[in-house]
Amino acid sequence: MPQSAPSFRDPAGCCCSFNGRVLRCVAAVAVSELEKFLQTNCARQYIARKKFVSTRRLNENEAATLRESPELPPVFHAQPGGAVFEHERIPFPSYPHEWPPEMLWAAGRLTLELAQAALGDGFGLKDATPHNILFRGSEPVFIDALSFERRNPGDPIWLPEAQFVRTFLLPLLANRRWGLPLAEIFTTRRDGIEPEEVYRFCGPLEKFKPRMLSLVSIPAWLSRKTSPDDQKIYQPHLLANTEKARFILESLFQRLERTLDSLKPVAQKNSGWSDYMATHSYDDPAFAAKEKFVSEALREFKPARVLDAGANTGHFSALAAQAGAEVVAVDLDAACAGAIWRRAREQKLNILPLVVNLAHPSPALGWRNGECPAFLDRATGTFDGVLMLALIHHLLVTERIPLEEILRLAYELTHSLLVIEFIEPRDDMFRRLTRGREELHATLDTTMFEQACTPYFEIVRSLALPGTPRRMYCLKRKGGGN
Amino acid sequence: MTILILAYIDPGVGALLWQAIIAAFVGLLFYLKKTRRWIMGVFRKMFGRRQKPSAPVAEIPAKETMKAKSDVR
Repeated sequence: MPQSAPSFRDPAGCCCSFNGRVLRCVAAVAVSELEKFLQTNCARQYIARKKFVSTRRLNENEAATLRESPELPPVFHAQPGGAVFEHERIPFPSYPHEWPPEMLWAAGRLTLELAQAALGDGFGLKDATPHNILFRGSEPVFIDALSFERRNPGDPIWLPEAQFVRTFLLPLLANRRWGLPLAEIFTTRRDGIEPEEVYRFCGPLEKFKPRMLSLVSIPAWLSRKTSPDDQKIYQPHLLANTEKARFILESLFQRLERTLDSLKPVAQKNSGWSDYMATHSYDDPAFAAKEKFVSEALREFKPARVLDAGANTGHFSALAAQAGAEVVAVDLDAACAGAIWRRAREQKLNILPLVVNLAHPSPALGWRNGECPAFLDRATGTFDGVLMLALIHHLLVTERIPLEEILRLAYELTHSLLVIEFIEPRDDMFRRLTRGREELHATLDTTMFEQACTPYFEIVRSLALPGTPRRMYCLKRKGGGN
Repeated sequence: MTILILAYIDPGVGALLWQAIIAAFVGLLFYLKKTRRWIMGVFRKMFGRRQKPSAPVAEIPAKETMKAKSDVR
């Protein structure tokens, strides 16, 4: 199995996925520091609370066996005195360009929490990017164990502050103030937005509002006034009084925490789809029948990992999670994904909500497209069950994806179960989407749908939803398990 | 003590200067707080001792007083 491209920016080491294991090669200079950090109260507590990735050093024999593998990245061989560490695997990696703002906020909170906790143990966080964090369900987990280094006790400056502002605070600010989607920020910029960029968006009066002044305007003005050749500003200014240096840093973290909290995303009441559960076209018996159908399929197939495609507010994701599955819920609407995240956190459900349009899924990003794999590369063959409820007409009509293609994608995504809702062209919602193009789908009916399913799936059972032109299908992948 | 200098991220320009300016102000605040704590400490020393002889009755929580009474019984 080919390994994914390693992370490489940090000179202290790199991380890669190899044969299903997450391995970190650590340079000789950083090995003892990492081991010391893993022994601190901060690391132990956060590992115990599952907020920091659990990590162990491979012994010499294990590392030697591993190095015999020719597929291991060369950097693992060329580290005299270095060591190999293994991390627990987070089930489904996701990236900031797929997160709703709520998740970026939670990732920022964890980053600051850890930076403050490490301070007490004499360590500092040396980078502050959302790429240090993955989500296990709705809970953030800090994964970059090498992000901590022993700090100079007299240093009152936190160098990654600007990165924290660029990658957490300013994207949240731009999202809240101008509705700029996080996907637009992070797909094109790995390291967030610069204050100068945000400054250009601000109106003349807005530049003087307290929050804008501190986060955007003053840094932008100072940056303009500083000569690019002036290297003096980057020289460390160490204080003789270490108590004072720590006081300054603690005050900085508290200030950043207050700013982050002031940017906490609020639930959007009406984003187009977030109120769908209250306004959908089913009456109560039809919805109850649909719910029962999905529950029965989940009980029968017992999928361990479920993808809810077009999850909306996550009603059926919650059903799957309550049935014991690890759920990835995707929806193109960030407000819906945000609502799912709130619900999953409140009800402690194992759901990872992501902002992904299945017809236009997140691409591979980063250096050589290897740092953040494409959504479909991560999702293909990962799930035992896929739910496609009230989705097919959006793909068929709005996105103009052929029926055969939709079923083929479902076949590639699931090992076993597909629960799909077929919607006939006479359905109100279907007609609303066609906008006078009814002829395009004139031949689409249940017979045609069932024929299209045949190459990929066996029909286990189907059920017409009472009083609607919709039919539920429980399908079993051909050549699949269960 | 060896300190690793492996910070590889871009520290920014304006944001770093702004952080340094705020740090200078917060540094002043540190001395103000320290001075206030020292003054409070002096006051506590001066008045704390005088109050001590008359304090015990008022300082014993009501529950403990009741418990002490019941123990006597």
